[in-house]
Amino acid sequence: MNGTIQAPTLEYAQLAPMLVVFGAAIVGVLVEAFAPRYLRSAIHVPITLLSLAGAFALTIWQVVKGVPTKPAAMGAVAVDGPSLFIWGTILVLAFVSVLLINDEDHFVAAAAAVPGSAEEEQALHEGAGHTEVYPLALFAVGGMLLFPASNDLLVMFVALEVMSLPLYLLCGLARRRRLLSQEAAVKYFLLGAFSSAFFLYGTALLYGYAGSIDLAKISAALGVVGGQETLLYIGVAMLGVGLLFKIGAAPFQAWKPDVYQGAPTPITALMASGTLVAAFGALLRVFWVALGGLDWNWSPVLWAVAILTMVVGAILAITQTDIKRMLAYSSIAHGGFLLVGVVATGAAAGQNSKALSAILFYLVAYGFTTVGAFAVVTMVRDAGGEAWHLSRWAGLGKRSPLLAGIFAFFLLAFAGIPLTSGFFGKYAVFQAAVAGGATPLVIVGVVASAVAAFFYVRVIVLMFFSDPAADGPSVVLPSRGTAAVVGVAVLATVFLGVFPQPVLHLAQNAAQSLFIR
Amino acid sequence: MGESITFWVLAVVSVIAALGLVFSRRAVYSALMLGVVMFSLAVLYAVQDAPFLAAVQIIVYTGAVMMLFLFVLMLVGVDSSDSLVETIRGQRFWAVLAGLAFAALLGLGIGNAVLSPPKGLAAANRAGNVPSLAELIFTRHVFAFEVTSALLITAALGAMVLAHRERAEPKQTQKDLSRARFVRFGQLGRNPGPLPGPGTYARHNAIDMPALLPDGSVSPLSVNRVVARYEAAEGTLPPEVERILQEEALSERANGHVARPLGEEDGK
Repeated sequence: MNGTIQAPTLEYAQLAPMLVVFGAAIVGVLVEAFAPRYLRSAIHVPITLLSLAGAFALTIWQVVKGVPTKPAAMGAVAVDGPSLFIWGTILVLAFVSVLLINDEDHFVAAAAAVPGSAEEEQALHEGAGHTEVYPLALFAVGGMLLFPASNDLLVMFVALEVMSLPLYLLCGLARRRRLLSQEAAVKYFLLGAFSSAFFLYGTALLYGYAGSIDLAKISAALGVVGGQETLLYIGVAMLGVGLLFKIGAAPFQAWKPDVYQGAPTPITALMASGTLVAAFGALLRVFWVALGGLDWNWSPVLWAVAILTMVVGAILAITQTDIKRMLAYSSIAHGGFLLVGVVATGAAAGQNSKALSAILFYLVAYGFTTVGAFAVVTMVRDAGGEAWHLSRWAGLGKRSPLLAGIFAFFLLAFAGIPLTSGFFGKYAVFQAAVAGGATPLVIVGVVASAVAAFFYVRVIVLMFFSDPAADGPSVVLPSRGTAAVVGVAVLATVFLGVFPQPVLHLAQNAAQSLFIR
Repeated sequence: MGESITFWVLAVVSVIAALGLVFSRRAVYSALMLGVVMFSLAVLYAVQDAPFLAAVQIIVYTGAVMMLFLFVLMLVGVDSSDSLVETIRGQRFWAVLAGLAFAALLGLGIGNAVLSPPKGLAAANRAGNVPSLAELIFTRHVFAFEVTSALLITAALGAMVLAHRERAEPKQTQKDLSRARFVRFGQLGRNPGPLPGPGTYARHNAIDMPALLPDGSVSPLSVNRVVARYEAAEGTLPPEVERILQEEALSERANGHVARPLGEEDGK
């Protein structure tokens, strides 16, 4: 025992985007501690936005400098092409979501006050607010960055928790319908903790099988270790449960409608875009890097999950009467379409990179559209807050044609109508799936898309072809932030729908080298 | 030899404790059973050449986490038990079935796996258990270790957000409280002093026993409303106290008072 430990080498340049986000979050906590109440919001917003923009710039710089070919931070983090693409996507989506968070009073005045109590009245009267949402959102974004880039299961687990814990909290902070919001937070927390336990158990079993938690070493052990396949299979199944829960794939989708409905709408936007992107990145990394050699075993299961997810998402969405629940089920269905791409692996690297680039493109397209759709939801207000019931949206097209038109456009993009980003996303994924021999899955996907299109079109018909109610909801004049969010989302949806080549090209470049090991 | 004896003794103890944890109806018993399980695990770790893990298990889990559990239980109330009404019909049956099936799957699967012979920790512990762990934590896993801090900060911040309420009005001092008590005495004639404890003539000094007046009757002032309500629910309320409470309720109704819930005091 000579007591000397070689100091670890950390590639700070590669980790910089994450470090900037985490650093800004900690600065935000210090602001909470030391800045006077009236100044906090004014300090938080620039810090948050600048750090996200800075992290994005650092990500770009990383790409320009040349994508690293070896894992960073002693093999804990893999900053490779797909990671960088996902980081860029998450950072832009988070930036846009923060504009929404900043927009207006979506958040509770005093979370500790019992809903409906005198204390709450007083806090509302005083105009109190929780500015802690900014550092919490930054922590969540930091976790989202680390989750898809983690190169071993331990880091992935920590990242999963870092990503989820702030979101559990933020879900419970809605200003209106607080009991619903708190219920959503409790449900999300309990189910999330449960799924994390599954993930951890799976990690332990895989460690028992492979003797390592490194994704690359697990992959190397696949053909070598004999006689312990049951450990491997049970471990993979449990790991899959943990990851599929985060995506909201059926049969682990039950939390999604409740949580999306109860959470403050800007947080729903952040979850629907950022978390989904991060979770797909992590799922791809686990199944393609660590378990790539086992695809004979897991791909039938994922086939079933993908079919079930698409069908459940599309069919249950039809029965919804709450706009946010409907969008949640739509998000489930989109998770299913993306899973089609995950299944579409092939023996050849070319096929894999094609499927990967299709998924990456789909994630960008869906992320922007969904943030835009939730931004529109925040603007249609009743006396008691957002007009959540679908019947309240009747005739919106006659009262506010521009907004209704934009929302209709987003819905068409969700449905995958040509000339919207959704079309190219679906096209790319389905094309890759056909090339990968998953044609039956694509047929199910197309049918589910058609079913999904039915309820999107139903909302459009409701908005444009029915008479507005006399006491219908009012459309608030958007703040500059919300207007910017909607504008960016519309532009992105149009741009990706009409001229997808640059982003497709970017995604192809990112996917070319596949994941590093 | 010693290791296997320890294992078989602790295996029995910890499995029984774990079953007790699940099946016990009282939350405090469950918590203490959990303590037993954690202690057994710690000893097992220690026996298997992992002294650091054993110490951490005791310090962190048994020491900190368990105590937190107990604090929370005490705060919530030892006697509060879950309502066992099923909100989803047949849920418990299917949950038990799924749980048993899952356990069977795990047991059969892992039981049938041909595990390679255990290597032991001799190689990993060559430089000593703690230094070897330190080397792993601060080199290979340093990033995970550092990122965990984000988790801790989030937890602290979240606790503040959810539980901390800033005081809107100035805190009432002893002086304000006593002034308010005497104002109430002047207006309503309520006794400003403390309520009597079990009286001189009481046969007990337990708090559920009301004080007796010199003539042997029960002093209504000394009836603890919280205890009385609990005893009424349990059916062990002394008949004399019950009579007093009923009389009080009757007279309050006759005087047109709004019946206050039992146990609510004015000084709150």
